[in-house]
Parts: sequence; C-alpha cells; structure tokens
Amino acid sequence: MDMSSITNWLQASIRLSAPLVLTSIGAVYNERVGIVNISIEGSMLVGALAAVAGTFFTGNVAIGTICAIAAGGLLGLVMAYLTVTRNTSHLVAGLALNFFALGATNMGFALLFPTERARVATYPVLSPAELRGVPFFGPVIFNQTVIVWIALILPLVSGWVLYRTSWGLNIRAVGDHPRAVANAGLSVFRLKYVAVILGGVFPGLAGSALTLAELGYFAPNITGGLAWIVLAANNVGKWNPIRVAAACLIFGLTDALQLRFQALGSAIPYQFPLMAPYLLTLIVLFGLTGRAAAGPKTLGLPYDPEAV
Amino acid sequence: MKEREGIVLSGLGELVLPYARPLLGIALALLVSAGLILARGANPIVAYAAMLQGAFGSVAALANTGVRAAPLLLSGFAVGLGYKAGLWNIGGTGQIYLGATTATVVGIIPLPVPAWLHLLLAVMAGFVGGALWMLIPAYLCAYRGVNLVCTTLMLDYVAGHLVSYLLHDTPLAAGSFYPMSPLILPTARLPILVKGTSLHAGFVLALVLGGVLYFVLHYTPFGFRTRMVGENPEAARYAGVDVVRWILLVLLICGGLGGLAGAGEVLGLKLRLFDYFEGFVGFEGLALAIMVKGNPLGIILAGIFFGSLKAGASRMQIVTGIGAPMALVIEALAVLFVVAIGFGERGGLARLPQKKTHGKEG
Repeated sequence: MDMSSITNWLQASIRLSAPLVLTSIGAVYNERVGIVNISIEGSMLVGALAAVAGTFFTGNVAIGTICAIAAGGLLGLVMAYLTVTRNTSHLVAGLALNFFALGATNMGFALLFPTERARVATYPVLSPAELRGVPFFGPVIFNQTVIVWIALILPLVSGWVLYRTSWGLNIRAVGDHPRAVANAGLSVFRLKYVAVILGGVFPGLAGSALTLAELGYFAPNITGGLAWIVLAANNVGKWNPIRVAAACLIFGLTDALQLRFQALGSAIPYQFPLMAPYLLTLIVLFGLTGRAAAGPKTLGLPYDPEAV
Repeated sequence: MKEREGIVLSGLGELVLPYARPLLGIALALLVSAGLILARGANPIVAYAAMLQGAFGSVAALANTGVRAAPLLLSGFAVGLGYKAGLWNIGGTGQIYLGATTATVVGIIPLPVPAWLHLLLAVMAGFVGGALWMLIPAYLCAYRGVNLVCTTLMLDYVAGHLVSYLLHDTPLAAGSFYPMSPLILPTARLPILVKGTSLHAGFVLALVLGGVLYFVLHYTPFGFRTRMVGENPEAARYAGVDVVRWILLVLLICGGLGGLAGAGEVLGLKLRLFDYFEGFVGFEGLALAIMVKGNPLGIILAGIFFGSLKAGASRMQIVTGIGAPMALVIEALAVLFVVAIGFGERGGLARLPQKKTHGKEG
C-alpha cells in the first residue's frame, strides 16, 4: 500500500465513521441514564429518509438536516414515553420502534419517490482550496464535508458536557443511583426523557450523515444494523463519548478497508468484505465478555420511584 | 415489583383486559392507517374492503393468506419459544436464509429414495440449517454470556451476503444466468393443498407445529423447565435444571424453527433459492411474537392477521393504488400500539400524588 492509497483509506474511514460517531453520542447519553435504546437504529433510518426528503423538497441541505433531527427526535420521544412513563421493557419498545421505522420509511420512500431514485444535494466542503492541497491532512481532514467535521467535534463537546458540567453529572448519576438523584430534588423522569430524546436526535443527525454526506439518496433499510455496531462500540469505549467515538473510528477503518477490497476487484468474492463489519462486531462482543460490570449500574432496569 | 396497588385490577376487568388490549391496539392501528390512506387520497373503507376481499374473499384469497402466513408463523415460533425461555432470538432472517439454503441443497440433488422421504429429508435439512446457524450465538450466549440480541442480529446480515455468495460463485448456482439455484426437484416439493392455488403444505405444518409447541410448553416437563428458565433461572438451577445446556438446547430448536420457515418458502412457494429473497419476514415474525408475548396460539392468530394484510395489500393496490408498503405500516402500528397499551408485565407506573414536588429544575 503506497502513501496515496493510505491517505484515501483514512479519508474514507473518517467519512464512513461519521454516522457511527454521531449515533454513538446519542447512545452514550441513553445508556448513561440506564436506558438500553436499540431504537437508535430506527431513529437513524427515519433521519436518513427525512434528510433526503427535506433536501429534495426545499433544495436546502440545512433544512434537510433539521428534518432529520426532528424525525429522529420524535422517535426518541416515543421511546422515552414507552420506557420511562409506560415502563415497557427497553428491548421490546426498541424492537417495536425499529419495526415501525422500517415500515414507515418503506412507505414514505414509495410515496415520496414513486418512480425515480431522486438524487439530492449533499453536504458542502467548507475549507478553502489551499488547505485541501496540504499533503495528508488536506484530503484526510480538510477535504471532508461539514457533517464529518461536526462528527469529529461533537464527541469532544459531549465529553465535556458529560464530565465537566453539573447537568452531565446529573445524567451520569441517574444511571448509577437514580434514587440519590431524586433525593437531591431533581426529576429523574425529566433527565431520562431528555437523554432518550437526545438518543433520537443524534441518530437522526447520523441518518442525514449517512445519506447526505456522499450518496445523496435513500434506499430502504439503508442503515443495515449500523446502530448495533454503535452499541458494541459503546461497550468498548466504556460509555465515555470520546473513547466510544474512537471505537467507532476503528469500525470505520474496517468498513473503508472492505470497500477498498471491493474496488480492487480482488480474488475475494465481494460478499465477504461486506460481512466484515458484522463479523468484527461479533469478535469484539466475544472479546468483551465479562466486562459488563463497567457500565451504568441500572442499565436496562426500570425505575420505580415507589420502591424502597 | 410485579404487583402494585395502583394497577391491580379486579373481577371482570382482570379477565377481559389481557385479551382486550391487543385487540384495542390493532383497532387503533387500523384507525391511524385509515387516516394515512385518507391522506393519500383514497377512501379507507374502500381500501379496507378491498383488503378483506383480497385476504378472505375467495378460495384463492384464503390460499394466498395462508401462503403469506406460513413463514411468518414459523419465524414467529422461532422467536416465541425463545421468549418463553427469556431468550431473544433476533436472528430469524439469518435462520431463514440458511434453512432455505440447506433445504435447497437437499432438494436439488436427485436421491435414490421415495418422494416422501426426499421431501422429509429436505425439510429436516432446513431445520438443521437454521439450528447450525444458531450454533455460534447459542454457544456464546449459554457458555460465555455474550448478548444474544446482538450476535443473532449481526449474523442476519452475514447470512444474506453468504447466500448471495453461494449463488454467484459455487455449484449451487451452476448454469443459471441470474443468481439463483436450479429448480427444486418435484420429489422434494411441498404438496399443493388446493388445486389452482399456491397454498402448500407448509402452512399446515406451521399450524400443527404451533399446536404442538403450545402443548409442549404448557403440558410437558420440557415446557415447564423452559418457562422456569425464562422466569427464574436461579430457581430452575435449584430445581436441578442444567440452565446453560437448557439455553443451548432451546436456542438450537429456535434456530431450527427459523430454518423451517426458510425451507417452507423454497420447497413450497419459490421452488428456487434466490439471493436476498427474504424480504422482512424475519423482522415480521419477531414483531408478531412480541405482540403476543411469545404465546404459540397468539402467534398463529397474529401470523394469520399479518398474512392477511400482506395478501390483501395486492388487492388494495389494484383498487386504490396503495400497496404492500401500507401493509407493513399497519403491522408496525399494530405492534407499536399493542406494546404501548400496557403490554409489559411490569405494567405502567402508578401516578404519585406528590409528583409535583419532583418537578424542580435540575
């Protein structure tokens, strides 16, 4: 592998990991308040369609992004209602919402784009041309669309929020000792609601990164289990936004590598590289066995304010 | 945590509510969907009438509903059995792919055996294929404590690509221009039950298996132990059940049931293995099993309901121009509403009179 192909590989890796990184921020907040939220897959999916549809009808990528965030957040709100207010099993609620997202996007897609696969504008590259010409850093960092920059900056911001603000402390406390938070006079319900809605907003934004960063179109079930990779990354990164983002980058590296393999037309049939990210996740899960204790203490459990 | 004063029901309400709630959920889903149909400029009554006609209006329609329901039922059982043991098998898709593949392999090889035996072998191959695909997640779950939801789901995606590979570069697809296998030999095909329709024996097989599964779960030691593992693994261990091996066993049967769903599709309906043929059957089976909490008889009812939606959708498409995607939306809304309307055993939280004092800004 020569220098230019390494540069290309890194560039693609960072681009491909942007949706994962954005989703992971939502996932971290979710699990920090004790909610196992697998509906992030559904939020990403509705976000992806909303981004394309919004951009298609307004011609404005920013409005498409807002649509994506709103759609993802709406699904997050339903998830919050089901898990926090109705106290439904997190897994059941998440699976039901994912199934709903699948049906809704399938119909929305057939409805909005009945004949042709509409191509819409993608995110712009903001950096000046001189910076893009810088060897190595030019293509890897500067010649990336704006959403990729957001994905690179947001983990730092959310890490700061989680560890350096009192609100972040509250969020972390809710997952570990909800009763202590309640005794301190804070609303556990409200904190959980906000975190779970954020757990829809960020995957929604990730959906727009998935469709508008490069492709410019939507395809049914385009997310293809990406959210599950994020949940594995969450485990690897020990619920710390920056570490989790780093884990997502490693998945991005694998994904870009498998695309390379496909493009090279090597002797390996193209289906095998396609399996790589999923197999890597399996191996990671296997390697993580017995480390569950590191997570938030009430992860997956219901919160009952009456229990003594 | 099971019982709370606020939600304890009494008398008639307690008797009726468990059955009324899923029906209420389905009714709400149909109501919201009617709004969606209206929004698309069609008359919901006309649309639903067309759907009913397409699902139950004639022998052909009924047959079509049965054909659509068969894989849904089997993949529903694959989830439901695990559900009763407290295990989440999300791998329906993968098991369908692998079961279909192994059934196809046996089904296209001319064997020197009677026709009924060839069919039986092909169906059994489907079961084994699904069970083998479950082997790795089952082992990891039972012996290593790896999250079953994640492993089975990851293997769903792997399975799709694996079948695609098998249909491109291997003898399984020899001589065909498209990525598909040769035709299943007539000796290995599931018999057609009603002449002139495509209703195959897979539907009856699914109904019978559902009955057997219900009986086994409720009236045999196997079923009792399985439910005990699901509800209280500690108690099961204390009662002498080898929980780890039990989980492995139950999961392999789950995988096999999922494999049967795939085998039924190729041996009864499609008669070839195509790449990425599965559609969303695995997810639909999961959704309907969630809706009825894994009860096999409930899965039969919900599976026929989903099957009738899918069968009716094509008629609705002709009459109103609204087709298959709408059926998936109705299914999804039904599941969502049933889950939202007090589905869980945990129940809703009782309202607290002093809740106002919690509302201070944090």
